[in-house]
Amino acid sequence: MAVRHKHRETGTSVVVYADNYINDIEGEKLEEMCDAFLEKGFKKIVIDFSGTDLVNSIGVSILIGIIEKIKGKGAVVFSGLKDVNFQIFHIVGLTRHIRVYDNEEDALKESASCDGVSL
Amino acid sequence: MSGVDLSLERLLFNLNTLAELGEEITSPKDFTRVVKSSLYMVMGTFSASKGIVFQYDQSDGLFTQIASKGLTDVRGAGLKIGKDAATAIIRNNKPIDLKSADPVIALLGPGREFLERLGARVLAFLIVKDELLGLIAMSDKFSGEDYTLYDYQLLSVMAQHISFSLHSHTLLMRLMYRYNENKGLYENLRRIYYDTIHAFAAAIDAKDAYTKGHSHRVSSYSAAVAREMGWSADDIEGIRISGLLHDIGKIAVDKSIINKASPLTSNECKELNSHPVIGYEILSRIKFPWKGIPMMTRNHHEKVDGSGYPDRLKKSDIPLGARIMALVDAFDAMTTDRPYRPRLSFREAIDEVKDHYNRQFDPEVVRPFISVIRKEVLSEVENPTIVPLMHEHLDPVTLSRILEGFPR
Ligand SMILES: [Fe+2]
Repeated sequence: MAVRHKHRETGTSVVVYADNYINDIEGEKLEEMCDAFLEKGFKKIVIDFSGTDLVNSIGVSILIGIIEKIKGKGAVVFSGLKDVNFQIFHIVGLTRHIRVYDNEEDALKESASCDGVSL
Repeated sequence: MSGVDLSLERLLFNLNTLAELGEEITSPKDFTRVVKSSLYMVMGTFSASKGIVFQYDQSDGLFTQIASKGLTDVRGAGLKIGKDAATAIIRNNKPIDLKSADPVIALLGPGREFLERLGARVLAFLIVKDELLGLIAMSDKFSGEDYTLYDYQLLSVMAQHISFSLHSHTLLMRLMYRYNENKGLYENLRRIYYDTIHAFAAAIDAKDAYTKGHSHRVSSYSAAVAREMGWSADDIEGIRISGLLHDIGKIAVDKSIINKASPLTSNECKELNSHPVIGYEILSRIKFPWKGIPMMTRNHHEKVDGSGYPDRLKKSDIPLGARIMALVDAFDAMTTDRPYRPRLSFREAIDEVKDHYNRQFDPEVVRPFISVIRKEVLSEVENPTIVPLMHEHLDPVTLSRILEGFPR
């Protein structure tokens, strides 16, 4: 059975909740899902980590996959990172490429055209 | 390969991945899933955006891909090498930079262009006991940084883990039941784990000029006592690891406090005494394949009369492993030089243990500790661990004199 990842659509943006499934290879379905949102015309994807305890190396690899996949098609930003997750993203270099917001509301406030992936 | 940024966070992230990788490859999950997860773990560790795992067939020299990520089309992806290349790869047995002048690269022949077309930058061959089993090829880092020397070392450790998994699978495929051989490999795997943590423990000890080797000694003394108490091999391994990491919280304590020769102010004392709790917080974030490591670390300064820290636990409320570590930790501290005093003689240290018997130290732990020392002096054990590290010669006569009047 296909797992429906939790998400919330608002205007041209969509918030996707990473929760803990990002840490399993099944979490890769998120990549297709984000791609599909952009195909549908959404401009910005906020990946929210407020429900994620600890991102592991599989999670990092899936996130890099998402960023690579939607490169040039839209923007992706992160929100709700716990300290430990922020540190991990810093170590692997993700924070240098992805804008990080305290919470999803702040992430949504920024206009979709001037932030996100700068690859 | 440039310099190394070895922050505590990076080490923890990497140790955690090693623990998860160890768990993954020994799990009963479907083989392709295990290989895929392993590849993702390697890629996530180095933030590589493309990666592929090949299985090698010695009979025809062909590599077949068994998992990949970030590559659009790898169907028909084939890589073939000659006998010479395989021999050189096995002899070399370490990850290589595809852009380097490593002689192994030249031996890859057309395989080199093939790998470059795939976007590969680093190659980690999967080798077990002089047998080439496969290859992990990975792209440049997503972050644009270079692979460091530390990255190469870590990749080598991870590749060994994965080789083990491939090897067991290959064995199963051949329907060979080589139990003993596999057992040896499993030992190997633990060794890799142990070595990684060991390197980490050395970093902890390095912070304290006086305690060089302290974690290592606490580790082997604890294991010796646990063995004497009849613990299982697995639990002994656990306390051995715990001993290596028990002072990890000192990483967060100011170096000047640790090495201070004069008495500490109450604030400094508070800071130093926070190390078991900090250690606990660090270690409880790591998924260890052994039980109780965070708690043993937290409670290694408790005393059986309840006057220790941080939880002021009494006797049986203190985890047994922590009671063992409390004793051997204090014993090692007494028998080595410290900034505030020279070391005590063996006799003086034993007298201290005697004085604090059933107050600081648990009789149930002191007894096996004494009995290990006695056996070591009488050469009744094969690999003595405690006595050889004492700075004085201990013969049976001296020992029995020292132990005279010791509560039995
Ligand atoms: Fe300690």
